[in-house]
Amino acid sequence: MTQAEWGELSTVLFWPTTLLLYLGAMLASMYAHAFTSVARVDAHEPVAGRRGQRIATGLATLGVLTHLFHLVARSLGSGGRVPWGNMFEYSSVTAFIVVAAGLVIFQWRLRKPQIMSMLLLGAILTMGIALLVYTDPGPLVPILNSHWLKIHVAAIVLAAGVFTTAFVFNALHLLRDTAERRVAAARSPAGSTVGAAYAGDLLEDEDEFTEAVPERDAVEDGVLGDDLEDDRAYGLALRAAINPRALFLGSWVAAATMSWVWLDLGRFLGVNTVFALAALVAWWFLPHLPSAATLDALTYRTIAFGFPIWTFAVLAGAVWAEQSWGRYWGWDPKETSAFLTWVGYAGYLHARATRGFKGRTASILGLGAYWIMLFTYLAVNLVVTGLHSYAGVS
Amino acid sequence: MWPSPAPVAFAIVSVTDARRDESDSAEPPQANPPIRRGRAPRSPLAAAALMAWRWLTRMRTALYLLGVLGFLSLVATVVPQAPNVPATVSAWRLGDEGPGPVVVGLIDAIGGFDVYGSALFLALLVLLFTSLTACLLPRYRAWWRVVTRSQPPRTRHVGHHDHVATLTTELTADEVDGRIRTVLADRRYRLRAADDDLPKQVAAERGLALREGGSLLFHTSFYVLLVGIVLGLLLGFEGDVAVVEGDAFADTTISYSDVGAGRWWDQADHAGFTLTLDQFEVDWFRDPRFGGTPTVFESTVTISEPDGATWTDTVGGNDPLVVDNMRIHQLAWGYAPRIVVEVDGEVVHDAHVMLVSTDAGVFQGAVKAPAADPDVGFDVLLWPYAPVDETTGTPVPTGAPWADAPLLVGVAYRGDLGLDSPQRFDTLDKTNLEQTGGAQLRPGAVVDLGDGVVISFPELRRWVGFQVSSKPTLPLLFIGGVLVLVGLVPAIYAWRRRVWAVLETDAAGGHTLITIAGRAFQRPQAFDHEFPAIVKAIRDATDADPSPTPVAASSRPVAVSRNQQDTS
Ligand code: HEM
Repeated sequence: MTQAEWGELSTVLFWPTTLLLYLGAMLASMYAHAFTSVARVDAHEPVAGRRGQRIATGLATLGVLTHLFHLVARSLGSGGRVPWGNMFEYSSVTAFIVVAAGLVIFQWRLRKPQIMSMLLLGAILTMGIALLVYTDPGPLVPILNSHWLKIHVAAIVLAAGVFTTAFVFNALHLLRDTAERRVAAARSPAGSTVGAAYAGDLLEDEDEFTEAVPERDAVEDGVLGDDLEDDRAYGLALRAAINPRALFLGSWVAAATMSWVWLDLGRFLGVNTVFALAALVAWWFLPHLPSAATLDALTYRTIAFGFPIWTFAVLAGAVWAEQSWGRYWGWDPKETSAFLTWVGYAGYLHARATRGFKGRTASILGLGAYWIMLFTYLAVNLVVTGLHSYAGVS
Repeated sequence: MWPSPAPVAFAIVSVTDARRDESDSAEPPQANPPIRRGRAPRSPLAAAALMAWRWLTRMRTALYLLGVLGFLSLVATVVPQAPNVPATVSAWRLGDEGPGPVVVGLIDAIGGFDVYGSALFLALLVLLFTSLTACLLPRYRAWWRVVTRSQPPRTRHVGHHDHVATLTTELTADEVDGRIRTVLADRRYRLRAADDDLPKQVAAERGLALREGGSLLFHTSFYVLLVGIVLGLLLGFEGDVAVVEGDAFADTTISYSDVGAGRWWDQADHAGFTLTLDQFEVDWFRDPRFGGTPTVFESTVTISEPDGATWTDTVGGNDPLVVDNMRIHQLAWGYAPRIVVEVDGEVVHDAHVMLVSTDAGVFQGAVKAPAADPDVGFDVLLWPYAPVDETTGTPVPTGAPWADAPLLVGVAYRGDLGLDSPQRFDTLDKTNLEQTGGAQLRPGAVVDLGDGVVISFPELRRWVGFQVSSKPTLPLLFIGGVLVLVGLVPAIYAWRRRVWAVLETDAAGGHTLITIAGRAFQRPQAFDHEFPAIVKAIRDATDADPSPTPVAASSRPVAVSRNQQDTS
């Protein structure tokens, strides 16, 4: 096959092939989940649920394979370079990492397949963004052909994938936490702390350093207790606690703070609406989501995993900048934005360790850090220009 | 390897005992030193200083400071920065572009056009580092105490822990004690020294010193980076120089433009080599799909050192050349046509004129010949690829950068070049000039413009812009960067665990009953596997059997009751 044919193949593999596979996997996974945990009352339905789950896993695995194939074809179609050289490719690799890591970690290791549907949603949104900045496969500027660059970009892309996963948990945490608090407040007029604080340490202080309560997953996902009717009622109460119209509007406006950078009305409206619809899907899933505490722990762990990678990526970028531009740091818009993202996540980690800042404040900081990452990624590439002008979009 | 403890002349420090409502990221041993109690009243100044210090040691303050840092950086991503894009900034100031005078005035008021050079930013850095110091000193001390003095605590309620297992063995309590210690020490647990308290107990812990030590190293490495940056500014040197192929320059300050030399930089610190640019190679993909994507971008240079050594090397896009303490980067390039101008038969200009590339793909520059009377000047434009159209027979300029069919256009001016006042090398000051004609030239062409002025274009070369710099603190910065990572990884991934083994002798049966308990401060899921492994190792080491009255191992009853947040 010629280089151009590989290029075309890679594009077809991306859209529609992989994207549709992911979409199918997401829908199947949601369908399966709805059956396995809500309607447990009916003994027949878990079978449908399990079948749906198997289909979801199959589609997602197939999608990961076609995605991998897309990346290989893209590389061949660009003259054999690494397939992460411009914005389209970064986004594609990010989505790939999200789904592949999700399959390995949640599907196979932790056996929490319901989380896959949310990760697939994140990946699909990322791939949507990729399509909006599509560029044909082609060679890279030689200034980009450096080992440090490859390391730098690979690490940034990996960390961005991890942060995207964390964002999904983070947003779901805030949603579920809000719902849990409202339900709790409604049930105990005195104002409950459910969802907010852990019970006190049962152990006495055994020395000066025994302050921390051990980290714990809250009770396994979702609904507790034997009384199925009660579970159902609690789940429905959670859903009722959030006004979907307000959520839709809020998400739409939140997406708008980002999507204006395209300076293109169609994209602006499209991106906001898709994001707000995704929020509605999450809202519908409220009863089936893991508890707020679990989501919070997942958020922290994911961010704690991504942070050293991002740190490393920024340092590798400085080494590369020194090689190629003769200065290791120049506050060029891209450097500033990488730094800013780093400060944002450092803020999140600090907030987690600061009394009174934990929980929701930290979560909001985490969302802010992700906003900064995306905004600077898009805005700096599309609007602001600097030395780093290799985004490949024009 | 580890940071040494802070000077202990530090009165307000103590370790707090606050209970923390923590889960994943346990607050380390200390951050908020409590008030010094029971002292004589202080002077207001001292009181204010103490208050400021206490404010600075709060973690919350660090968070606010990070927030301000983030905000300023955000301003710097959205607002053009004078050091990076001076032209855009002046356009904003003049109102030609940007959000208008009111916003620009606001931005100027906070120094928003040069955020990283502003007083606000400097003040913020000073505050951050003071706060960092204020946070770290007590933490070092607490950490040092943990490492040198503290012991893993005994447990009082062995049955209350999340993970409990019991074993019985025929061995005596003393034998069991020794073997358990070996097992735990092999797993790198720190052990409490044996004592005579009853019941006999082995208390062990791991992760605390490493986690907190990593965090300290991580924060401390910012000082390394800071010192590296500041010393680098003081000791460093940076200058730009442009050379035409075949020409040379010497490494002395006067050779360079845009010189940035640190306060402690000395003329004698130059390496003093001479660099000759033998050749500059640049090429592109010619396929229109990838038009303009370069394939080669490399200078071949000959270096002659003061001691007579001479060698040839290359400088590439990602590949600086290091000569002694000087680093040579290849940053810019352009075409340099040799342009000869004769006026009335006399050569008034014969030099390679450096042309600068523009967005439109044309290279642009100026010829200035004050030797003529009146002065002669040319605006020079060069299209590297302007092939002849077959049908019309005229050259068609394209935006392509490769010099396969160069076309040079010179527009002639006469009058006063105004060279007494400073001006850019690549543009003419046309206030006192009058346009007198123009010519299109291919390489080798000679054109008589009339009025006695003859212009010729014998040869096309290229020029390269090098940056020559000395950055003596790069290794230090590299070390600082490595330390950031070396500290960060354990700060996030070292998990604190405690394990106890309580030994009770069953006088009647001659057995020893071992109750093992464990507690995970982070990552309890992993501990769900670690704990049974420890129990098994102890069992193997002591030839023990599971207790006849078993307490379920690791059933997490406590955990569940603690976290029932879903129920209401
Ligand atoms: C120069 C700016 C600073 C940066 C970039 C920074 C960054 C970080 C990061 C990324 C962490 C997370 C590591 C971990 O989870 O263990 C952390 C933890 C911590 N930082 Fe900072 N820090 C800064 C300044 C400060 C200051 C001024 C203080 C004191 C008020 C401070 C106190 C702490 C403490 C106590 C922790 C431990 C929290 C934990 O164990 O999770 N930091 N810092």
